[in-house]
Amino acid sequence: MAQVPAQTIPRDPQLFYWILFPITVVMVLTGILRHYATVLMASSPKKLDKKTTREQRSLAHGVSVRANHYVLSRSSFTARRDALMTAYESGAFLKDQDGRGQPPPNPMNDPAAMEGMMGMMKNQMAMIIPNTLIMGWINAFFSGYVIMKLPFPLTIKFKSMLQAGVATKDMDPRWMSSISWYFLCIFGLQPVFNFLLGSDNAANQMAAQMQMAPPAGQMFGPGVDPNKQFLAEAENLAVIEHHSVLDGVEQRLLEGIKA
Amino acid sequence: MAPSFLYHPVQLSPAAALELAQTAPAVLKSSPSSVSSSPLFSLVGGPEKSEQWIQFENLILACLRTGDDQAARKCLERLVSRFGADNERVQALDGLVKEAMANNNGELEAVLKEYERILSENDTNIPIAKRRIALLRSMGRASDAASALVELLDFSPTDAEAWSELSDIYLSQGLYPQAIYAMEEVLVLAPNAWNIHARLGELQYMAATASGSAANGSHQKHMAEAVKRFSRSIELCDDYLRGYYGLKLVTKTLLSGEDAKTPKQTDEGGFALPDRSTLEKLHELATAKLAEIVRRAAAKERGWRGYAEADVAAARELLAQDTSAVQR
Repeated sequence: MAQVPAQTIPRDPQLFYWILFPITVVMVLTGILRHYATVLMASSPKKLDKKTTREQRSLAHGVSVRANHYVLSRSSFTARRDALMTAYESGAFLKDQDGRGQPPPNPMNDPAAMEGMMGMMKNQMAMIIPNTLIMGWINAFFSGYVIMKLPFPLTIKFKSMLQAGVATKDMDPRWMSSISWYFLCIFGLQPVFNFLLGSDNAANQMAAQMQMAPPAGQMFGPGVDPNKQFLAEAENLAVIEHHSVLDGVEQRLLEGIKA
Repeated sequence: MAPSFLYHPVQLSPAAALELAQTAPAVLKSSPSSVSSSPLFSLVGGPEKSEQWIQFENLILACLRTGDDQAARKCLERLVSRFGADNERVQALDGLVKEAMANNNGELEAVLKEYERILSENDTNIPIAKRRIALLRSMGRASDAASALVELLDFSPTDAEAWSELSDIYLSQGLYPQAIYAMEEVLVLAPNAWNIHARLGELQYMAATASGSAANGSHQKHMAEAVKRFSRSIELCDDYLRGYYGLKLVTKTLLSGEDAKTPKQTDEGGFALPDRSTLEKLHELATAKLAEIVRRAAAKERGWRGYAEADVAAARELLAQDTSAVQR
């Protein structure tokens, strides 16, 4: 059985001090810088005025009545439903009573909505700019080297990821180039930032991108007509078939204790 | 001692609150008096913990409760230096400290004026609005407090705390239907809160036994719902003393009264009373369980120590009434 002799590439030990270490330090420092930049740029959450609060919470109230209707007795549920439906349909909770039935304003013209979008833009910029700069820096100075060998074997598929910038066909995928080290740093520094900055830091762009995915606050986002939401909720309330959790609770209790 | 900092001190017994308040000087000493928000500090000193600020908040409440106004003041200063004097929560705590240190009605009026000034600047400041309501109530102006609460709930109807306070105010004024309505709102927001189910049962029982309810025929409806509410609270929490206590009390009243013999079928959406054998079984169950709870709590068995002493004593008394009736 002829074993393929392990590839050995003589490397200058100085590679560690002049490439691996600087890239890591730069990545950590950028993360910290990004965290503080985000903290500084973050606009404080906008205060809602009384009417907006009323509009949103009244809708939320209707939703919770609908979801938890089973804790009420039939008569109290019917009373609530009638009151809420009348108020919803007449638009009593709306922020601007006059704007009923009119198409929603263009979100681009709404200064409040613009502010929210600016905030998102700022966060995006804080992520994109440093990444572009650092990647350019690494490509310009350190491309084309093999800087380290991973201590575990890997399959051939990893070659394109780990040896980016080193176009050698037969090299073992365990050898890593500097640009792959950079990617590893992007994905793997989260625990370091957690340790340095606390767990709710803004240093890691991966976490930020995760947050981006679900459109939070879409319920009251710009461009949604609250009147339509109220009407839809009134309809939802109207079709509930009421049952109460109190129906037959004694029997359940007696049986449950005996069993 | 450390974890109890994170509990709301109102839930602590007086002795525990005193113990907590006495740790105030040590806590104040051990934490730095000024918090720097510079990046360097947070890198060196570790991340800022939010528990720390909850701890200060609870210390303020515990200190005020035990009369240590100076320590409360110092804790408040820490919070002000961190969050600024115009933070809503800090404003409310500041008002609370001022209320506690007021010596006469005139000073309380001044605090009330201050609240109204803050509210006129920012009418969505809910902590201050709540403080104002609490102050109105403690000054004996319950109807003012109720109307202020109704106004608060008009624009924030998803506030369970406010609904339950409103229910309490209505109860203190003897307005049972309103109190029940407000408590039901709490349940809508927290559908599985067994203590609220039991509380609603208590309200129903009080409404049923109040004078005048027998005349207008709502007595039976209230009693039926009380039985069901207590049963639900026990279903949600197995060894809930208040639930069993209420269940026993209600079933006992029903069994001794005339209602159970002639169960009327109510047709306008109310609950019907369970039949007599079910009531008897429920009564038996509640008696047995209460006896067990009392015995085990008295013996301080493991896992049975959490009951409040007053609750256990009341349960014992209720059981004693039974046995004395049998002996006679």
